[in-house]
Amino acid sequence: MKHLDKLFQELSQQQLEKKTRRHFLMDCVSKMGGLALAPLMFGCGLESKPKGLELSQRDLNPLAPLPPPFRGKAKSIIYLHMAGAPSQLELFDYKPELAKYHNQPCPESLLEGRTFAFIRGVPNLLGPQANFTQKGESGAWVSDFLPHFSQVIDDVAFLKAVHTDQFNHGPAQLFMQTGSPRLGRPSLGSWVTYGLGTENQNLPGFVVLTSGGKTPDAGKSVWGSGFLPSVYQGVQCRSKGDPVLYLQDPDGMSRDMKKNLISAINDVNKEEFNQYGDPEILARINQYEMAYRMQIEVPEVMDINDEPEYIHELYGTQPGKESFANNCLLARKLVEKGVRVVQLYDWGWDSHGTDHDGSIDMGLRNKCREIDRPMTALLLDLKQRGLLEDTLVVWGGEFGRTPMQENREGKQQSFLGRDHHGDAFTMWMAGGGVKKGASYGITDDFGFSGVDERVSVHDIHATILHLMGFDHEQFTYDFQGRPFRLTDVEGELIRKIIA
Amino acid sequence: MIEFIFPLFGRFHPILVHLPIGFLAFGIILVFLSKKGDSKHLDSIRLAFLLGAISAILSSISGFLQYQYEGFSWDSVQFHFYFGSGTALFSFWLFYEINKSNEIPPKFKLKAGILFALLLFTGHLGGNITHGETYLIEPLPAEMQNFLGYDTSEKKGLEIPENGWEELAYYEDVVQPILNQNCASCHNTRNKKGELDLSSYNSLLEGGEDGFILTSGSPEDSPLFSRLVLPKEDEDHMPPKEKRQMHKEEIELIQRWIALGGNTESKLGDANIETELLEPFIKREEIPFYSTASVNPVSKDDLNTLKDEGFFAEPVSEQSNWIMISCINFPSFSDSDWQKLNSVKDQLAFLDLSRTQITDQSLDQIAGFPNLTVLKLNESDISGSGLETLLKNENLKNLYLNKTQVTLEQLESLQDHPSLEKVFAFDTPAAENDKSKEFSFHLEKGNYLLPKLATDTIVF
Repeated sequence: MKHLDKLFQELSQQQLEKKTRRHFLMDCVSKMGGLALAPLMFGCGLESKPKGLELSQRDLNPLAPLPPPFRGKAKSIIYLHMAGAPSQLELFDYKPELAKYHNQPCPESLLEGRTFAFIRGVPNLLGPQANFTQKGESGAWVSDFLPHFSQVIDDVAFLKAVHTDQFNHGPAQLFMQTGSPRLGRPSLGSWVTYGLGTENQNLPGFVVLTSGGKTPDAGKSVWGSGFLPSVYQGVQCRSKGDPVLYLQDPDGMSRDMKKNLISAINDVNKEEFNQYGDPEILARINQYEMAYRMQIEVPEVMDINDEPEYIHELYGTQPGKESFANNCLLARKLVEKGVRVVQLYDWGWDSHGTDHDGSIDMGLRNKCREIDRPMTALLLDLKQRGLLEDTLVVWGGEFGRTPMQENREGKQQSFLGRDHHGDAFTMWMAGGGVKKGASYGITDDFGFSGVDERVSVHDIHATILHLMGFDHEQFTYDFQGRPFRLTDVEGELIRKIIA
Repeated sequence: MIEFIFPLFGRFHPILVHLPIGFLAFGIILVFLSKKGDSKHLDSIRLAFLLGAISAILSSISGFLQYQYEGFSWDSVQFHFYFGSGTALFSFWLFYEINKSNEIPPKFKLKAGILFALLLFTGHLGGNITHGETYLIEPLPAEMQNFLGYDTSEKKGLEIPENGWEELAYYEDVVQPILNQNCASCHNTRNKKGELDLSSYNSLLEGGEDGFILTSGSPEDSPLFSRLVLPKEDEDHMPPKEKRQMHKEEIELIQRWIALGGNTESKLGDANIETELLEPFIKREEIPFYSTASVNPVSKDDLNTLKDEGFFAEPVSEQSNWIMISCINFPSFSDSDWQKLNSVKDQLAFLDLSRTQITDQSLDQIAGFPNLTVLKLNESDISGSGLETLLKNENLKNLYLNKTQVTLEQLESLQDHPSLEKVFAFDTPAAENDKSKEFSFHLEKGNYLLPKLATDTIVF
């Protein structure tokens, strides 16, 4: 009994704490005014209503689907982010000229006025460490690091002169994912989920899967919701063990009991909402209901064991392991089930040449083998199911790598490596609304800078939003007194890769 | 040395002009406040008219200097100047009249009223010069603007037709529209920054304060081109860095035109132009994905009823009346549920019935949606018999039959379907049938394999 008294005491204490000075003054004004007015109004109709903003359907169900402003050519996105930044010079950007100058000092003109993350003094140039051939009808150059992928390049549009102004992983990843190198902006996936909601009411709208042993350097902010309501942030699922932690009921808790528990909590929360009118409370109520619904569907969709054997062979998946291959297969399953955005991060692409795993000629090859079959399989699997018609697939890192051999602290290194470089790197897109077999962007003979058809990170965001049915200049959210956009004040559509 | 005084004084015109407006307006108000025989405001009125007249003279002089030094054309300022000077002289006369009299002279109120009208009209003409003649028209609703005789159609940049662009007049149809969009706001007949007017070929030939801007055949020697490609930080760079910058294709088109001779006779086709250069300007009619038929929008209530039933139901886009329906949250949908979709019979363009309970009986129902464009029946109990009823869906483009029991023979019944473009039949008896058959649509059988490569297992 004593215990119960204590609980009541705590509750009333909490209640008091929530009553700020502002509430007190407001109450004084409205109640005193009410007293004065009551006789005049013959005491009618002074019931209390929830205070605060007027509520919309969206407050009650923040993930309810919305139509896009224009017809989106894609309904879902699968974004494959290679954290650490893969070398474009060993994968897609073929530079025979660079091979001729292998091991010769880098010309001063490339170094003037530039800062590199690790290169000091005058480094030597490093020729391409891969063999290139032209593939497909489009005749795009692909290296022998990606033998499987070279079979599907006719379905892909390359952007070969992407540039960013960041040369450290954290800020560059934030820039690539949120449109700003500093913290606080919503990620691309959050924007899209905010704008379109999600079709499947039993699954989150924005799912994040990681592989490669580590999460991106910039932390969870790369899939954060920034200033958008927190319900739009990415939901990180584990590809090993329970996909979402604590989603399973503990032993002895039946589903009915869980339902009673959640409805009781929600009743309390509704009471709270009627009193304070804070829409975040509604978001909380919704999260509870969503979690309850997810309990059935998430374990089902996140289980790859029921996929047939030939699909496992296609992707190279091994159930129960955390791998990029498993994540690719999961991405297909999630999109098939109506998830709006699936974001994959694969860690381990930072080939500085400081050790074997980080070497351009060995470690990078091993990394490529890990993604080559899965990402090719993903495109083929989406294609055969017709999902590629309205799913946009994006591949890229946060920046590219230098045509120079890295000389950390001015010393020769024992492995071949390249430093961070944001002036020119390659990304590709495929699927919903993307022109097949296109290539946009030309870099100089060393692959150091784009010379024509350069595109910025903002341009890529503008294009992705366009394919999802948004005008990136109109799609805004009011925060701190001004409307914000994913592309801020920049971004131009890359029309030549739009089908 | 002292010469800088004149342009400097000229630039004070926009400030000075407010003095006579204030003084004279105040004087005029006092005149109207005075009753007959009432002389208590007389001194104030005299002072207001004297100060008003002096400041009006100063305004007129500064205005004239500004016209002299800032590259305004006489045509655009002449009436403003006449009325401004007129106001100044008229206010002097009124001051003279009231100064010699001991009371408000007869008909003085009428004269003060005329002065007020002059003041307003002069101010309005001045405003037109600085803000443009349409300044007060622009905020009006479009219908009212049209009524007043103003063209509300947006000023478009360069637009090139997809076919027959070779015959376009290079200057008139290409260069001039580029100049109109990018340069004309500062270089036009009324507002000649740097004494340059780019509104026509003749005025372009005259050049600006630094001389000619076009050297035929030599873009590098023509400031019309060379100043466009200066670094953005260079103060001679055009357009100024805070303004909208030109596209590189626009700059290149100007360069090619000058290289070609920079005259009005040449055609766009004469310049050996690659189509890529024109790509950004080519106006293409996008072929709409969904039917072009027009249907009434589905009412909000009907849409909400569908949502309450468990359907995913949304318009294709905010501007579209076409409706997308999916049973992703309604897996129990069966052959007996069709009447629920009656309210969107005409508007339904996208229907996803994957993983529902429907059987072949439903195919007849589907045939009743005339504008259906995408139909997904994946993983349903459709066996494919009766598939030919879909021939009635004359707008059907994409048909999904993955993981159903449909056979190649049944698909043959859709041969020569009027609109069908793609059929997805992955993991069906049809896909397993090796017989190659030509269809009027693209048949996606899938079953892709990635053969093992030696490199798959090598670890470096």
